[in-house]
Amino acid sequence: MKHRVRWIALSVGVVVAAIAVVAATQVGTDPRQDQNKSHLLGDNAPAFDLPTLDGSHVRSADLEGKTVIVNFWNSWCLPCQQEHPALVEFYRRHAGDPAFAMVGIVRDDTESAIRGYVNDEGVPYTVAFDPGANASLDFGTRGQPETYAITPDGVIAGTQFGPSTVAQLEKLYDAARGQS
Amino acid sequence: MKSTLGVLALALGASGAVLGIGTIAVGLARHDDRLLRIGRRYVFIVLAAAVLAAAVMEWALVTHDFSLQYVADNNARATPLLFTITGLWAALEGSILLWTLVLGGFLAFTAHKFRHRASDPLVAWATLVGLVVALFFFVLTLGPANPFKTLATAPANGQGPNPLLQNHPLMAFHPPMLYLGYVGFTVPFMFAIASLVTGRVGEGWMAETRRATLVAWGFLTVGIVLGAWWSYEVLGWGGYWAWDPVENASLLPWLTATAFIHSVMVQERRAMLRVWNLSLVIATFCLTILGTFLTRSGILNSVHSFTQSAIGPTLLVFLGIVAATGIGLIAWRGDHLRTPGRIDSPVSRESAFLANNLLFAALAFIVLLGTVYPLIAEALQGKQLSVGEPYFDRMTTPVGLALLFLMAAAPALPWRTTSHEVLRDRLLVPAWAGGLTMVVAVALGARELAQVLAFGLAAFAVAGIVRQYAVGARGRRRATAEAWPVAVARMVRGNPRLYGGLIVHVGVVIAAVAIAASSAYTTKREVRLTEGQSATVRGYTLTYVGSHTQRSGQKNTVSADVRIRRGGDDLGTYAPAISTFPNSAQGIGTPSVRTGLREDVYLTLVSSPNEHGRVTIGVAVNPMVLWLWVGGGVMALGTVVALSPALRRRPKPVPEPPPVEVEPAPREREEALT
Amino acid sequence: MSRRGVAWLVLGAVVVITLAIVAWPRGGSPSDAERVRSVSSELRCPDCESQSIAQSSTDVARAARDDIRRRVVAGQSDAEIRQAYIDKFGPSILLKPESGGLGILVWGLPAAALVLGAAGLVLALRRWRRAPHLHATEADRELVQRARS
Repeated sequence: MKHRVRWIALSVGVVVAAIAVVAATQVGTDPRQDQNKSHLLGDNAPAFDLPTLDGSHVRSADLEGKTVIVNFWNSWCLPCQQEHPALVEFYRRHAGDPAFAMVGIVRDDTESAIRGYVNDEGVPYTVAFDPGANASLDFGTRGQPETYAITPDGVIAGTQFGPSTVAQLEKLYDAARGQS
Repeated sequence: MKSTLGVLALALGASGAVLGIGTIAVGLARHDDRLLRIGRRYVFIVLAAAVLAAAVMEWALVTHDFSLQYVADNNARATPLLFTITGLWAALEGSILLWTLVLGGFLAFTAHKFRHRASDPLVAWATLVGLVVALFFFVLTLGPANPFKTLATAPANGQGPNPLLQNHPLMAFHPPMLYLGYVGFTVPFMFAIASLVTGRVGEGWMAETRRATLVAWGFLTVGIVLGAWWSYEVLGWGGYWAWDPVENASLLPWLTATAFIHSVMVQERRAMLRVWNLSLVIATFCLTILGTFLTRSGILNSVHSFTQSAIGPTLLVFLGIVAATGIGLIAWRGDHLRTPGRIDSPVSRESAFLANNLLFAALAFIVLLGTVYPLIAEALQGKQLSVGEPYFDRMTTPVGLALLFLMAAAPALPWRTTSHEVLRDRLLVPAWAGGLTMVVAVALGARELAQVLAFGLAAFAVAGIVRQYAVGARGRRRATAEAWPVAVARMVRGNPRLYGGLIVHVGVVIAAVAIAASSAYTTKREVRLTEGQSATVRGYTLTYVGSHTQRSGQKNTVSADVRIRRGGDDLGTYAPAISTFPNSAQGIGTPSVRTGLREDVYLTLVSSPNEHGRVTIGVAVNPMVLWLWVGGGVMALGTVVALSPALRRRPKPVPEPPPVEVEPAPREREEALT
Repeated sequence: MSRRGVAWLVLGAVVVITLAIVAWPRGGSPSDAERVRSVSSELRCPDCESQSIAQSSTDVARAARDDIRRRVVAGQSDAEIRQAYIDKFGPSILLKPESGGLGILVWGLPAAALVLGAAGLVLALRRWRRAPHLHATEADRELVQRARS
């Protein structure tokens, strides 16, 4: 075949160019952060029964009929520390509402570290431990902080991966209440 | 002040490169030798500028000058001196500085080596290409990756390097070795482009740059092995290779470079495969840039990508230009390069090298495809996929086994052609060695197909290499009546490329056996122990003796002392630990490894003592991991031997010939000479 | 047949028998523990970059191993377990690309490339073995003439 090398070179060039275009469209996007939506969106929230910081238990069954905000967090992750004031403010706004509940489930941390953090920083809402990490697994969490908004019927209506602002938390809450 | 000095140094380097490029370009256009000779001197300005910039950065690091953002981000007052110095390559901007430094060194070395041929257009074009690459990296440092950016207000203390980067002295060696390898491949690339442009595509450029290519390959090999060692001893996840995108990025140029080192010999002897070799060299260089792009763009999450910045698109554009230039040049000149050379027989060393290249190209293709497949899937379908160990292991194992087989058979193949009888005779004993090894392995309980094959082929290969040495030395002894060690030494000095290469093969085989054994026969358990309690794993008794906490300005470390016993022998006390650093509350685990000849006992502290004093210790027994590092060392040794200059054959006054028949069998003599 | 030929034959038999012993399908299906290990080594640990559930030592990985064990004991198939995890975490939880759909690219291309390359090599070797048909051109003849004079 005449000019065989030329043809081979050009075909290689086309393939390389195609890959380059593909790569260029993905530059700057973080493949993990991109997926800010949980795969459980629209599904029933998993049931949980977890020990709390003050020695009692929090059960998903007891929270039926309320709009529940679940936040996975721990004491050492920096975005968790960043969103802490927003979470506290959001909780204060709705604490008086009997149809509202908020649970902070500890993900990947030790009990003593959590107690220390709560003593230092103060967490007004329920802090639940997740021994065995079953809740972390059942909710399909990939890290922390992750926030899930659950309707009174027990359906996951909204999720936020990464630190949230008060505005974002309000949006989640509205989605779960059905007023988006 | 330092910032200004640093930026000035970088600007000096960039302008030196521009002036050099301009001078050489004009000199080439006008066929003006004087200009060409002047032009090459700019290389030394580039080197001086890079040295100055790196020195300024080190000065800023060592004096903890936190007015520089890079120092504030990667250094703290409490950081020990060693990790302060290695802070130069702790993050993106500094790494690019290191890259320019190494590049400057290689360019200067090349300019010096070819100083008598400065007016040769081939050399001039090569220098020009080298300066263009240097210019690109200087522009990077002056633009998106400026290491000398200042902060408006200097903080009192810096953040310190990422905890993972100040855990182990290996940090001083792994990145520089890798960079010496990566950047070293610029030299053959320069000459490949030069030869394409000038149309002088004879073997001259390859012979000139052969050494540089081998040196770069050696450093890259050592860098990769050190990275695996670091992964194993420091990162603590229990393995040495995760098929991480950045690990793959370092493997890709290594694969193409290894293919090139072999096919170059076919080109030297038969004047064939020119286009293929040029493509391999250009591809290797492109892959080193791609590797930097993958590491620094954050496009694929990985252990290494601690930063995400605008550097990605810039590197991608540069890579695109380089690839387009290379492909374009080959398309333009390629058909003129082809020779009517041919290979005489499929049963020859040339054919074996061709098969070798095919397999290495396949390996590179597999690794590249697996690494970029998530990107393709996301672009085409929006889905996020991962490609991990199961894929890579499944795909690379058969190719790796085929390569082991080639390594065993090829050295016995003569050049040009041979008959089947010769092959049968030469390979019989090594093949039996391999077969018996397989039987022994199965008798001892091995039941994994890939592992058994690997062990057998490894024995086959080693036996073949020993045979090669023995036959060569024996042939020599018959002619010169030397003692065995002297004969071997002189034989090696007579043909260091061949015998050094065989040593490298031995290293590869040792590493292959280690990989085969450790990937199939590892035992992993987690044990929960209170003080004084013991547990037994694979014959080792582990007793948790106690824990202690160490606080230093730099970090807090909780470690658990574990005494290991086997049979009745006390093997020592080992202390896996978890450290926390002031600016990141997450614990970084440090494993403690009892390295043994046959297997390692690998301890990690999964959770520190809880309120009941109970710890959870991860125990893994990993067979043969030590031999992976030994194999790497042997590969490095073989590279050094292969690089040593050959002993010229001088007519030696032969003393009284011994009164015995002094005629080596013609076949063996021919073998000794190949 | 020569002695060497016999030696090769015997070696061949030994190798084949040994490989047969190794590759012989073991009686019975894999045990529960083996199934747990194999399934969890093909699923990525949710909060790791590329480690599998089998390798990782994070809390969630441990919970996942227990979960997989429960599913295996309950009788779920490998595919069902994988699908359950895909439903929860998305397709990026798989470490091995699926064979169908776009997966053909990543599984099939390397094999195709290798086959094509090998075929190309064989063809090239064949071509080289045939004697080259070189025709002398006029220029060549003149060159020779000039040299001989």
